[in-house]
Amino acid sequence: MKRILRPRFAWVMPLLLLMTACAQDAPQDTLQPRGPIARDIDNLSDPVFLVAGVVFVIVEFGMLFLLWRFRARKDDDPDSAPAQIHGNTKIELGWTIGPALILTPIAFFTIVTVFAIQAKADDATMTVEVIGQQWWWEYRYDTDDDGEADIITANDLIIPAGQTIELDVQSRDVIHSFWIPALNGKKDAVPGRTQGLTVEADEPGTYVGQCGEFCGLSHSYMRQRLIALPESDFEDWAAHQREDAQMPTSGDALAGAELFQTTCSNCHLARGINDEQHADALEQNDGRVLTVPGSAPDLTHFASRGAFAGAMFNLWVTENPAGVVQWDEIGGELNREELEAWLRDPPGQKPMDAVLDSPDSRGMPNYNLSEDQIDLLIAFLETLD
Amino acid sequence: MAIVERPSPPALQLPAGPQVAPRPLGAFTRPSATTGWKSWLTTIDHKRIGIMYGASALFFFIIGGIEALLIRLQLTSPQGKLYSADLYNQLFTMHGVTMIFLVVMPLGAAFMNYLMPLQIGARDVAFPRLNAFSFWVFLFGGIFLNTSWFLGGGADGGWFAYAPNTGVTFSPGHGMDFYALGLQITGIASLVGSINLIVTVLNLRAPGMTLLKMPVFTWMGFVTQMLLVFAIPVISVALFLLTFDRLFGANFFNPAAGADPLLWEHLFWIFGHPEVYILILPAFGIVSEIIPVFSRKPIFGYPFMVASGIAIGFMGWGVWAHHMFASGIGPMSVAAFSLSTMFIAVPTGVKILNWMATMWGGRLRFTTPMLFAIGLVTMFTIGGLSGVTHAVAPADTQQTDTYYIVAHFHYVIFGGALFAFMGGFYFWWPKVFGYVLDDRWGKWHFWLQLIGFNLTFGPMHILGLQGMPRRQFTYLPGYGFEFWNRVATVGAFIIALSVLVFLINVTKSTRAHLANPVPVGPDPWDARSLEWMLPSPTPAHNFDTVPTVTHLDEFWHRKYQEDETGRVTRARPTDEVAQKGDAADVHLPSPSYWPIVMAAGLPLIAYGLIFNLGIAAVGGAIVLLGGFAWGLEPADDPERAHSHAAHGDGHGEGDGDGDGAGEGDGAGDGQESPEEPAAVAAGEGEGAEGDDS
Repeated sequence: MKRILRPRFAWVMPLLLLMTACAQDAPQDTLQPRGPIARDIDNLSDPVFLVAGVVFVIVEFGMLFLLWRFRARKDDDPDSAPAQIHGNTKIELGWTIGPALILTPIAFFTIVTVFAIQAKADDATMTVEVIGQQWWWEYRYDTDDDGEADIITANDLIIPAGQTIELDVQSRDVIHSFWIPALNGKKDAVPGRTQGLTVEADEPGTYVGQCGEFCGLSHSYMRQRLIALPESDFEDWAAHQREDAQMPTSGDALAGAELFQTTCSNCHLARGINDEQHADALEQNDGRVLTVPGSAPDLTHFASRGAFAGAMFNLWVTENPAGVVQWDEIGGELNREELEAWLRDPPGQKPMDAVLDSPDSRGMPNYNLSEDQIDLLIAFLETLD
Repeated sequence: MAIVERPSPPALQLPAGPQVAPRPLGAFTRPSATTGWKSWLTTIDHKRIGIMYGASALFFFIIGGIEALLIRLQLTSPQGKLYSADLYNQLFTMHGVTMIFLVVMPLGAAFMNYLMPLQIGARDVAFPRLNAFSFWVFLFGGIFLNTSWFLGGGADGGWFAYAPNTGVTFSPGHGMDFYALGLQITGIASLVGSINLIVTVLNLRAPGMTLLKMPVFTWMGFVTQMLLVFAIPVISVALFLLTFDRLFGANFFNPAAGADPLLWEHLFWIFGHPEVYILILPAFGIVSEIIPVFSRKPIFGYPFMVASGIAIGFMGWGVWAHHMFASGIGPMSVAAFSLSTMFIAVPTGVKILNWMATMWGGRLRFTTPMLFAIGLVTMFTIGGLSGVTHAVAPADTQQTDTYYIVAHFHYVIFGGALFAFMGGFYFWWPKVFGYVLDDRWGKWHFWLQLIGFNLTFGPMHILGLQGMPRRQFTYLPGYGFEFWNRVATVGAFIIALSVLVFLINVTKSTRAHLANPVPVGPDPWDARSLEWMLPSPTPAHNFDTVPTVTHLDEFWHRKYQEDETGRVTRARPTDEVAQKGDAADVHLPSPSYWPIVMAAGLPLIAYGLIFNLGIAAVGGAIVLLGGFAWGLEPADDPERAHSHAAHGDGHGEGDGDGDGAGEGDGAGDGQESPEEPAAVAAGEGEGAEGDDS
């Protein structure tokens, strides 16, 4: 008995696509724009998905119809055949030109949107350098426009909400890609080039993304967070970030700071804490801090961030269902367990070819710290707010 | 002591008569075996080469499939710990490289090699030894690439191998050297093969077979070869630059020395986009053969089918930077490539609709090949539609490098090309091997594959749109990725089950045939093109008499008459139209050792470049000396191979074959074969003239 083809999942596909639009714990959802550029993209692609859906239905259900209507019957004469139609030029021209006509408005609006998004860069009130390297993101602000970066942070990109921000995306080693789906598509960070990505958040909030170009071992763990703040909060944040850290005066924090100076200065800088040691290390390494290896996040205000280790781990405990630390949770309860695990053995937590004292080391090596040393360091790091 | 004069052994007897082929050295005797495993190593028969391409591709398919299952196992749960990130990177890289270069391309080559000469009425390809060389180079290149697993690790930079991540600084192991050199080797196979098939199609068609009477499969194969001829040199250049960077300290892709990594991207994708049409066009051709046969109607709109294939071939060169919408190429380029990418959907859409129109008004028989062909039409449509959504460049900046892209290309490559190739196996199996594969097992294969495939890749559309990037060895919980990843893993194992069913089918059907051989006859499906006019399995010499062609679907028109309204009546029974396969003394090209010998030198050169230049020198010497031997071996061995080979039966007289030099000995015999009796050739469309024979 001849069985008729029934692609069982055909009708489910549009439904599934609908379902994704309503997902609650989908912080990287591309279908829930939270900024004007992402909304432009969404407004362009939604009708295109609709057209695709209609074509899908026509073709697939059309096929089902054909299979049912023209199936061979048992009593067909094997020596006969149906009318041998060789073609119909009019119809074929029709379905050559027809799809081209359907594509034309899509093409038109696509081009309009490409240039509209490009033009948004002109509205930028601020520029931030976004520099990717294996496997974390550095952010450099020049808030006083003197040509030199005065705020250098990592992992959390803080911007004022409701303003257009231009990101100068760069890389120090291989190709990465900076991407915050709620706000815009991605832009590759190509070594030797600077490329622009414009972002704007409608509302204050925390938006997350991941590196979008395969970059080696920890590509999966190279993440980024973007926090949009009300403008006055942003000004406060920026003013604080420009300040140096305060050297602790007593207790575990002081011991931790001294440990930091001796152990961590080869790669990390915390202004106000280990400027001298870091400069010495730079000299010894021939200024290699801007190339790999030897380069690591600036830790001056480490405890003002929501995440660490390339935003792989939360620095603070969070209630958020997707596990994304929110702005008001920063400075709350420390995520001590994961911070300890990291300091205990970074390559054990995050795949890296990181070997102590090796010139080819990539990422943070294992310093074989004792539990006491880890406790001291954490006591110190907590003061770097 | 009497001197006994014994006659020389037959092998040393020089033929009498005016044509005497010189025999410079005994070592250059051409091999004479036509049966046994050694004969496969020295064969230059396009049919055997096609079979070997197919078998090798299936072997690599199992390897690539296992790599896929391992990937899926790792991604079943968030933060899976099955293996290291390093091993995972090797797995997904090798999975991609294997499936594209060692499975889908050689599957296309298998069908094109076996069928194109038959469909145009030729005895073999233009350069039979070169054909064998292509195959062995491909096989040795594929094996070479996979030995990387045992020699320091597989390639780990992704199949697209973006610089500078694939340079020595960031990929210090040998894996990427195996990638660069391995693909360089397989590229030689494809390039050489493409020249071969282009010349074959242009020069060796049977009398009356104009280009526009060639079957659609041959046309799609021809466009594929034209794409290869121009695309492979581009990847060869890119791989040379990468090799020089990695092995000889060059700086083509070193940003610190001022290079732009986007150079690699451009070179790779200028190759890479035509490459995907190389993957799919043979599959489109296969579907264009299967659907008409099982609809009992000709392909709807043959000129549009041919023209759309050619259009895809040309337009495919103008879309490459749609892989680079997020790379920073600037809005002008983004807009231009967005447009070109949208409009390449038009010729593809024409094909989908023409296939459906072929089925309209037909009498549809749902055999296994037909199910797989319908599978391509329905699944490729989905992949094509998601492709159109990618063409909208702003949307693509969200979609690129996510699982939405992974879904798209698996729908077109697996749902498209692989479904068609499976259909092609079932369709042409009787022609190649002389028996059919079991149709009930075939249907189980089809349904399991269809369901497994959709369960695996359907959800990836959702994962991608929800923001799951690709090439990730793990993902975090709480982002909404868990459920669909689990579904996809289940689906992958159902696909594996379907492949198992296929292998069981092959085994069972073969055993049943060996135990109880029942001749399947030339034309089990009541098909339309010339290969079905020949006995099954195809005789070594292909055609007893080269047919004179007067129609598209020549074979069909010999069986049936068509009037102006397209009504059909049976003109002759099939066994009168089909050839018997019993022609004796058809001159065939001789087998040769040198293709496989020369091919063996290439991986030695590659190993040498990686490990020890001495090995490379040995490899180079083998290639060089093998090349000389190839050139100097006698074009004709007096002990020639014939389709009914019987040693020493005194056939030394020249068979009217004046061209003692060069290749293509047997293939260009069109003008020397006896012409077919006029009554056998198809009559005009109006009706048979005079009596039927």
